[in-house]
Amino acid sequence: MRDTENMPAEAEFDEDEEPSFSDPEDFVDDVTEEELLGDLLKEKPQEADGIDSVVVVDNVPQVGAERLEKLKNVIHKIFSKFGKITNEFYPEAEGKTKGYIFLEYSCPAHALEAVKNADGYKLDKQHTFRVNIFTDFDKYMNISDEWETPEKQPFKDFGNLRHWLEDADCRDQYSVIFESGERTGIFANDAKEPIVVEERARWTETYVRWSPRGTYLATFHQRGIALWGGEKFKQIQRFSHQGVQLIDFSPCERYLVTFSPLMDTKDDPQAIIIWDVLTGQKKRGFHCESSAHWPIFKWSHDGKFFARMTQDTLSIYETPSMGLLDKKSLKITGIKDFSWSPGDNIIAFWVPEDKDIPARVTLMQLPSRQEIRVRNLFNVVDCKLHWQKNGDYLCVKVDRTPKGTQGMVTNFEIFRMREKQVPVDVVEMKEGIIAFAWEPNGSKFAVLHGESPRINSSFYHVKNNGKIELIKTFDKQQANSIFWSPQGQFLVLAGLRSMNGALAFVDTSDCTMMNIAEHYMASDVEWDPTGRYVVTSVSWWSHKVDNAFWLWTFQGRLLQKNNKDRFCQLLWRPRPPTLLDVEQIKLIKKDLKKYSKIFEQKDRLSQSKASKELVDRRRTMIEEYHAYRENAQKIYQEQRVLRLDLRGGVDTDELDSNVEDWEEETIEFFVNEEIIPLGEQV
Amino acid sequence: MRPILLQGHERSITQIKYNREGDLIFSVAKDTVVNAWYSANGERLGTYNGHTGAVWCVDVDWDTKHVLTGSADNSCRLWDCQTGKQLALLKTSSAVRTCGFDFSGNIIMYSTDKQMGYQCFLHYFDLRDPSQIEDNEPYVKVPCSESKITSAVWGPLGEYVIAGHENGEINQFSAKSGEIIKTVKEHTKQINDIQTSIDLTMVITASKDNTAKLFDSYTLDHIKTFKTERPVNSAAVSPIMDHVVMGGGQEAMEVTTTSTRIGKFEARFFHAAFEEEFGRVKGHFGPINCVAFHPDGKSYSSGGEDGYVRIHYFDPQYFEFEIES
Repeated sequence: MRDTENMPAEAEFDEDEEPSFSDPEDFVDDVTEEELLGDLLKEKPQEADGIDSVVVVDNVPQVGAERLEKLKNVIHKIFSKFGKITNEFYPEAEGKTKGYIFLEYSCPAHALEAVKNADGYKLDKQHTFRVNIFTDFDKYMNISDEWETPEKQPFKDFGNLRHWLEDADCRDQYSVIFESGERTGIFANDAKEPIVVEERARWTETYVRWSPRGTYLATFHQRGIALWGGEKFKQIQRFSHQGVQLIDFSPCERYLVTFSPLMDTKDDPQAIIIWDVLTGQKKRGFHCESSAHWPIFKWSHDGKFFARMTQDTLSIYETPSMGLLDKKSLKITGIKDFSWSPGDNIIAFWVPEDKDIPARVTLMQLPSRQEIRVRNLFNVVDCKLHWQKNGDYLCVKVDRTPKGTQGMVTNFEIFRMREKQVPVDVVEMKEGIIAFAWEPNGSKFAVLHGESPRINSSFYHVKNNGKIELIKTFDKQQANSIFWSPQGQFLVLAGLRSMNGALAFVDTSDCTMMNIAEHYMASDVEWDPTGRYVVTSVSWWSHKVDNAFWLWTFQGRLLQKNNKDRFCQLLWRPRPPTLLDVEQIKLIKKDLKKYSKIFEQKDRLSQSKASKELVDRRRTMIEEYHAYRENAQKIYQEQRVLRLDLRGGVDTDELDSNVEDWEEETIEFFVNEEIIPLGEQV
Repeated sequence: MRPILLQGHERSITQIKYNREGDLIFSVAKDTVVNAWYSANGERLGTYNGHTGAVWCVDVDWDTKHVLTGSADNSCRLWDCQTGKQLALLKTSSAVRTCGFDFSGNIIMYSTDKQMGYQCFLHYFDLRDPSQIEDNEPYVKVPCSESKITSAVWGPLGEYVIAGHENGEINQFSAKSGEIIKTVKEHTKQINDIQTSIDLTMVITASKDNTAKLFDSYTLDHIKTFKTERPVNSAAVSPIMDHVVMGGGQEAMEVTTTSTRIGKFEARFFHAAFEEEFGRVKGHFGPINCVAFHPDGKSYSSGGEDGYVRIHYFDPQYFEFEIES
C-alpha cells in the first residue's frame, strides 16, 4: 500500500470536517419512486388485493395428515380447471382438516368460474362441495331488507325446437352421414325424393345421435358432444368431455350421459359424466372399467331413476340429486342382468343358480323396492330380458339344459304385467333362437328360429284368456333380424349382411307376406317413427360399394333408390309421444275416411304437378338437344367438300353412299345339322 | 336380343372396334392376341400375330386396308388388314396406351404411358412419308408432363386429336404442331374411354368418376352427363337413335363382393337428351371394358373382363321405344 503522505493536498478538504453528502436544501428530486424502485413497489401488498379471487370450499372431507397430500391433489385437479390456483389454505384442528378450505386464483374471473361450476359438485356419497366467493360472505351478511329484482340474463332464443313437427305435409326427417363421414345432411322424407333441410361438412367427427324425443341432434367431437336443434339446427349446448366415445340420453331428454375411456382417474372419476341438458352443467362423474354393455346406466321411463349393475350390486340413483336411492346400493349376489320396464318404474333382474338355490327372475317396484314377482327357473344356462314397448309384457328367454338331456332348449317365460299378481305363461321352443321381438303397442311377438339354412319365422299372440297362440310359421326364411313397425302390426324380416339383404314384408293381422324383395348387401333397416316408411341401406362402414339407402312403403313397395357417395348411416328423427288422448284418437279414426279423401286429392294433385313438370322438362331437353344436333348437322354439311378431299373423292358420308363400289359376296352360314340314318329302302 | 358370343381371347378384352362399313369387328386383349371377326355371324376372319405383351388399343382405317395396334410390349404396329402381314413396327420406350388413324387414313397417332422414368408422349406419323416409319421419327412428338393420356380419338377433319387424361382433363392437340388448342376439365377422375359419334361431331367420355359425358368435338362444350353408381369403363353414341350405351364395373378387387349371380354385369342404355337410363343388358361375367355400336345402329358389341365379346342385335321394340314426353 502506497503511502498517502506524499499525495498532493486537495482543495476544500478540511481535516476535521467530513464532506457533506446531503442534497442542497432546495433540491427537488426528479427521479420518481416508480422508476427507481418499480419492481419492489409492485410487490407491495395491496389491501384489497386477492380477496376477490378467493373462494371458500365447504364440505371438504376431514382428513388426517397421512391423507392430506391425496386430498390436496384431488382438490387441485378439480379446481385448477377454472384457472391457475395461486394459493391454498387448509385450516386444521386436532390433527385433521376442518372441512373447509380457501383457494386463491390469479384473477377474480377464475374464482367466479369455480363458484359457477363446482358449487354442488358431488365428490362422493357424503361430500357435496359448496363453493362461494370469499367476499360474498360479507355480501350475504349485509343483505338489505329490501328486495331488489335480479338482473335478467339475456334470453338465448333457439327458436321453436319442435319446428319440424309442424311440417304441413307431415314429412319426417332423417339424418344421413355420407362421404365416409365428411358430410352430414338432414333431409325431409317425401315419397318422390328427399328434400334437403340442412347439409354441413364435418358436422360430426364420427357419427350422430338423435335425442329420444327428436328435439336434439348430438354430434361427436374429440373435445366432447355438441347438441343442435331448432329450425336452423343452431348449436344449443356443448359438453366438454375429452375423447368421448358413447352417449345416452335419459328418456325425458333432461339428462345426457357421456362416456370417454380417456378421462378416468382414481381420485376424480370422469369416465362417465351425467349432464343437465338445459343448463349444460356437469351433474356427476362415475368410474367405468369398460364400455362393453353400453348404456352402462339404464334409465327408468320417466327419467326419475337410473341404475347400473356392478359385481353383485345393483346401484339405483335418483334425479335430480344424482344420489343413491336411500343412500345405498342393493346387494344382489350374482346378478347377471337387469332392465327397466318401459312403462313403469319396475326393474326386472335375474340371478343364476347358486348351489341349492335355483336361478330366478325378480320384478322389483321402485322406489319402494318391493318384490312384486319372483319366478324360479331350473337348469338355466342363460337368460335374456325382452320388454314389450309399453311395459305390458316381459319375455324372459331362458336357455336351459333339462336334467337328463344333453341338448339345450329354450323357453319363453311371458310375464303378463297388467294382470293381478303378474301370471307367467311358458312357450317352449324346440329350435335355437336367432331373433325375438315384441310388437310395439300390441300383444304379439315374432321369433326367428332354427339354423341356417333352415330358418323359420313364427308369430305368436298373447291372448287375454291366458293362452299364447301360435298364429303362423313360415319356413325356409332368409332372415336374421326382425324389424317391427313402431306402430305395430307390420314388420320386416331381413337377412342382413351375410344373408345378402333378403327382405320380407309381413302383415301380422293375418300373417300374410305382403312382399318379398331384396336390397343386395343391406346392412341396416330403419322404420320411420310413424310406421309409414322403411329404409334399407348399405353402409360404407360394412361394404365399400353400392352405398345407398332405399325407401319402401310399409307394404314393401320400393319408392326410391338414393345413391350417396360413401353413404354411412341414416337415422330417422324420433317423434315425441302424441299429445292426443285416447278419446281424440278414436274420433280421428272414426273420421278417417273423410281425411283420406282430402289427402288423396292432395297427393293426386302433387303427382300430376310432378308429371307435368317432368313432361315439360323433358320437352325442353329434347328440343334443345335436337336444335343442337341440327346445328351440328349444318356444320357437317358445310364440311362435305373437305371430307371428299381427304378420302380421295370417295363419298363416305352415308353407309350406302358408295353402292356402285360395293362387291357382292355370298357367304354360307352354318344353320343346322340333321343326321338321317340310312335304313332299309321302303 | 340374341347375342353372338365371340370366344377368342383368354384374358380380359381391352378394346373392340368396328370398321367403317361395320362388317368387321376387331378385338384386342391382355393375352397379346389381335382378332378380326365377321360381325354378321361371329366367324373369325383371322389374327394379327406379333405382339408379345398386352394389347391396349386397336384401330382400322376408313378403307379397311390397314390395322393399327398398340401394346405393352413397347410397340405400335401397322398391319395389312386382309393378309395379316405386319407392315411396320414402331418401337417405343413405354407401353402404347391409345392409337388411331385420322379421317383420311394417312396420319396415325399413338400415346405412350408414363412408365419407368419415361414421360407420356403423343406421337404423330405421316404414312405418306416412308422415312418417318423407317427411321421411327414422328413428325411431331408432344410431351404430356402433368397428367398422362388415357384415351384419345381423332377430331372431325384430322386437324386435331381429342385426348382424355388421368386427371379428368380433355385436350385438343393440333395435328400440325402438337400444341394444345383447347382444354376442358369436367370429369373429376380418370377418363377411361373416349369415342366419337358416327359423324365425328360429338365425343362421349367414360370416366372413373361414375359418369359419362357428351361433348361437342369442335368447341369441347359440355352437352350432357349420364350418371351411374359405378366407374364407367366405356361409352358409345348410337348412329341412328338418341341413345348412348355405357359399360362399367368396379375395381377388380371388389368384384367378388358384388352379387355373383350369373351375368350380372350390365351394359346400360341412356336416352341422350333426357340423361335417363331406360334399359340394361345382362350377360357378362365380369366388368365390361369396352362397348361399340355397329355403324348402322342396328346392333352393338361389348367386350368384358371375362374375355368374351358379345354382339347384340336389337329387337324391333328397341327402335320403337320412346320415353313419354
